[in-house]
Amino acid sequence: MFFPKAMTELELIVPARDLLAVTQILSRYGVFHQTDSAYPNVATGSANTWQETAASYAAFERRIQAVMQTLSIDEGEPPSAEFDAMVETEALRLAVERIEEEVKKTSDQLNIEKKRLEQLENILHQLEPVEDIELDIAALRNSRYTYSTLGLIPAANVDRLQTSLARVPYVFLTLRSDSQKPVVWLAGPQSNADILDRAAKSAYLDPLSLPEGYEGTPAKIIESLHRSIEETNQKIEELKNTLAQYAKEHGGQLRELLWQAHTSRVLSDAIVRYGQLKHTYVVTGWVPVDDLEDLTTRLRSASREILIETLPTTRYGHNSNVPVALINNKFLKPFQMLVNTYARPRYGEIDPTILIAFTFPLLFGAMFGDIGQGLVLFLLGWLLASKKIKALSGMSSLGGVIAAVGAMATIFGFLYGSIFGFEGHLVEEYLGFTLHPLWLSPIDEILRILSFAIDVGIVLLCVGFLLGIFNHFRSKDWAHFIFGHNGIVGFAFYIVFLGLLGSFLSQSPIAPKIAVAIASLPIPFTILAIVFGIAIMFSSLLRNLVEGHRPLIEGGIATFIIQSIMELFETLVSFLSNTLSYVRVGAFAVAHGGLSMAFFSIAGQEPDLGFWITIFIGNIFFVVVEALIVGIQTMRLSYYEFFGKFFTGGGMRFEPLTITPKEEG
Amino acid sequence: MASSGVSGYAAISARVRAMYSSLLSTQEFARLSETPDFPSLIGQLKQTAYGPYLESLKEKDLTSRRVNLQIKGRLADSYYSVIHIAPEQTRSLLKHLYRNFEVGNLKAILRGIVSDPSWERLQDILFPLGSLTVLPAQAMVEAGSVGSAIELLQGTVYDETLSFAMKRYSAEQNLFPLEVALDLFYWRQLWHEAKRLQGLDRDQALRIIGSLMDMNNLMWVIRYRVYHNLSEEELINYTLPFGFHVRDEDIRAIAAGADIASVVERVYPNIADVEALLAEPRSGLPLLETKLKRHVMQQCLAAFSGNPFHIGIPLAFLILSDLEIQDLTVLIEAKSSKMPDEEYQPYLLRTVTAKV
Repeated sequence: MFFPKAMTELELIVPARDLLAVTQILSRYGVFHQTDSAYPNVATGSANTWQETAASYAAFERRIQAVMQTLSIDEGEPPSAEFDAMVETEALRLAVERIEEEVKKTSDQLNIEKKRLEQLENILHQLEPVEDIELDIAALRNSRYTYSTLGLIPAANVDRLQTSLARVPYVFLTLRSDSQKPVVWLAGPQSNADILDRAAKSAYLDPLSLPEGYEGTPAKIIESLHRSIEETNQKIEELKNTLAQYAKEHGGQLRELLWQAHTSRVLSDAIVRYGQLKHTYVVTGWVPVDDLEDLTTRLRSASREILIETLPTTRYGHNSNVPVALINNKFLKPFQMLVNTYARPRYGEIDPTILIAFTFPLLFGAMFGDIGQGLVLFLLGWLLASKKIKALSGMSSLGGVIAAVGAMATIFGFLYGSIFGFEGHLVEEYLGFTLHPLWLSPIDEILRILSFAIDVGIVLLCVGFLLGIFNHFRSKDWAHFIFGHNGIVGFAFYIVFLGLLGSFLSQSPIAPKIAVAIASLPIPFTILAIVFGIAIMFSSLLRNLVEGHRPLIEGGIATFIIQSIMELFETLVSFLSNTLSYVRVGAFAVAHGGLSMAFFSIAGQEPDLGFWITIFIGNIFFVVVEALIVGIQTMRLSYYEFFGKFFTGGGMRFEPLTITPKEEG
Repeated sequence: MASSGVSGYAAISARVRAMYSSLLSTQEFARLSETPDFPSLIGQLKQTAYGPYLESLKEKDLTSRRVNLQIKGRLADSYYSVIHIAPEQTRSLLKHLYRNFEVGNLKAILRGIVSDPSWERLQDILFPLGSLTVLPAQAMVEAGSVGSAIELLQGTVYDETLSFAMKRYSAEQNLFPLEVALDLFYWRQLWHEAKRLQGLDRDQALRIIGSLMDMNNLMWVIRYRVYHNLSEEELINYTLPFGFHVRDEDIRAIAAGADIASVVERVYPNIADVEALLAEPRSGLPLLETKLKRHVMQQCLAAFSGNPFHIGIPLAFLILSDLEIQDLTVLIEAKSSKMPDEEYQPYLLRTVTAKV
């Protein structure tokens, strides 16, 4: 829970005859994260053959999906883990082609009919503007002295076409204006037919082409067109019914073929990444330690001659190539999403999910303390998390976070004595019962809540520092462990800083209690501040010294001194800003009460309909807008102030080889 | 509310300037040009900002085609970064500018279907657009015919344009009308996007996009007249009536048969020897295009002086990055085919200092 799953590197030497059986075992249980076996001197000649096989399975997969799409068949549920046989491409080809041929004939016919319908509708669309003209269209086209063309043109080409005809006489009429495809009529002397025709073509004018049998005046043709459209629609309906029949007949088989092609593709894709020796294959990857024994037993049962080498991985060091599988239960999953949004923990690093699962709702609740609004958020979050609203099922993780922050806001609502914005005497006056704050009312005790918020910040920052020191210790990064800004020296300097801050603010009502308590300790803070200040100033030099980096100082001495002073200044500013940043927790709690008062002022004194509507709108505002703002502030405090002290991230995601990809475990 | 001016451009301006500084310096480019052969060019290129893009290439994959493809990855990344941080109101223009590569891919796919429908071969020459594309490239190639491939584009921005052009393709069995329709569609849309901007953004976009458009429009009308012998009305219909320097009258004059050299010299008085270049079009027109590209480069470089808070800087950076890749492509092709310096250097957009 505190660290990603322990991993072991696995290297397998697989006899060629057991290749498939081993690959099936590796893909069946979803515990093997494959890496490329691109060792030098490992021949990859046959990789091309497997590449071709994988490509042909991929092509079959696409073809089956295309047929399924034509028949409106869904992919269905993934098959069981045992369903991992690789089918022969020839068998797959025969089965796919048989169904494809049957379906294609009907679907091609359907497409032809749809195109015909579109064409007929286009002609109708072109003829409607000239319906009233008593003129034989064919006669117009075959005129001896006049060139004439009626058709559709891309709207963007209309002006250009007219410009291109500047040197010849012509008539150009837009019969139907359309933002995309206007209907136009172009005419001119037959002697210029060549020029007019070239211009029309190059402007992509699509002339009206009447199918066989459509003759006479536009009105007569329109009548025939309506009849044809009706007939075509009927044919389309019949063909659709035939396809629906096919879907019933072949649905099951197509789903099975799809998964066979998919499985075969996944297996051959995996094999492409193996290295090949003369009679054996080299397979490398990562397995969670907990699953190692089980997997090796299964592998040995699949191949007697398999050679298995495991290379246990220590959590110390950076281990950037080790995939990271996080272990969090379903209650922590939503918060894992919050952590991953920032970064995925590295292999040896603490996974801060459990911490964030505690601090995130706590900070949110403290800023948004209200029983009623908190419960609304909780219900909303629960609805999302339970996936009861299908359209929002993708937001289930977010729902978990919303439910947790809603619950915490409810608890703080009791502590602050606030329900739907009603506080103190207003509760009794308008709601008819009494509600006293179990702890304090932020709006009445502003300085106390602000001071408390800073104390919370100090505690969280200290936890952050300690975790940072722990992470440096685990990764054996001694230079940063001792001299890093988030190492021992940095933490000691922060404590000294708090001591000085405490003594400076001791008389102030907003003074953080922890800082004042530290200041009261019999410690020479001024001297220590100078000592640790100098250590921070020259931390880069000291780190280079510990790590053995040379030169110790980059650039000239003068530049180094200026940089060191700036570094000290920056550290002090960041201590101050990080600590004071938590004031916002108290400030938002106060603002929540203040905003409620503002809505009550607008609502007036009389509890009439207008009053309740205003309060209702105010609460919607709180639940939607204020909750969002508070959420962003909580995220900011978590990501920048808290994570910044110990969390680096940048881990590689554990992506096990599997036929049916699952959500991250 | 749309962010503009200092607030809108503070971040992108700083980021783009940092990215701009990673373009090849004159010295780096000279070193690349001075390499004796293809392997040493690649070795030198790995020392530049293109290095990370070549790391994944194994020794056997170090062909000019694969290297060209890899270095384009950097341009794709630049577009992605810039689009990501650009002010909301300018993203549509930048995305559309990027679509130039998608149009290029679309043309390459259609040509591939007609000449050599092998996805393995074709994927090596397509620009790596990543997720920012609507083209189902592999499915199009596997569709087997131009008509079926274009049917897969239903519902995309190309649907309407190609539906008109397909009628001509079906009748003529020639990709020319399809490619012209795509080009016209692309540049009209780009111009439209530039004109939608306001104030300084609009001025800068029209200047930079307009210069790029001038070059294309002029080269189209010249090539269509010289190589394809198209009629006046066809030339007019296959070109654009707008641009920055090049006016519609200039295009129409060339279409009507006016002396091309005198029109080009009037529009671009700084370009010398136009007549000599046009006398031998096969070799002269690519050189004329190179000179016009240099003019575009100048327009882009000018965007970096003065007020930095406008769309001109990101636009200029992206176009300069593209032109740099074009230069590198010339170098890569020249070195891989062991071409003498004097044969390829005139086609470089950057001037390479002569060896001492």
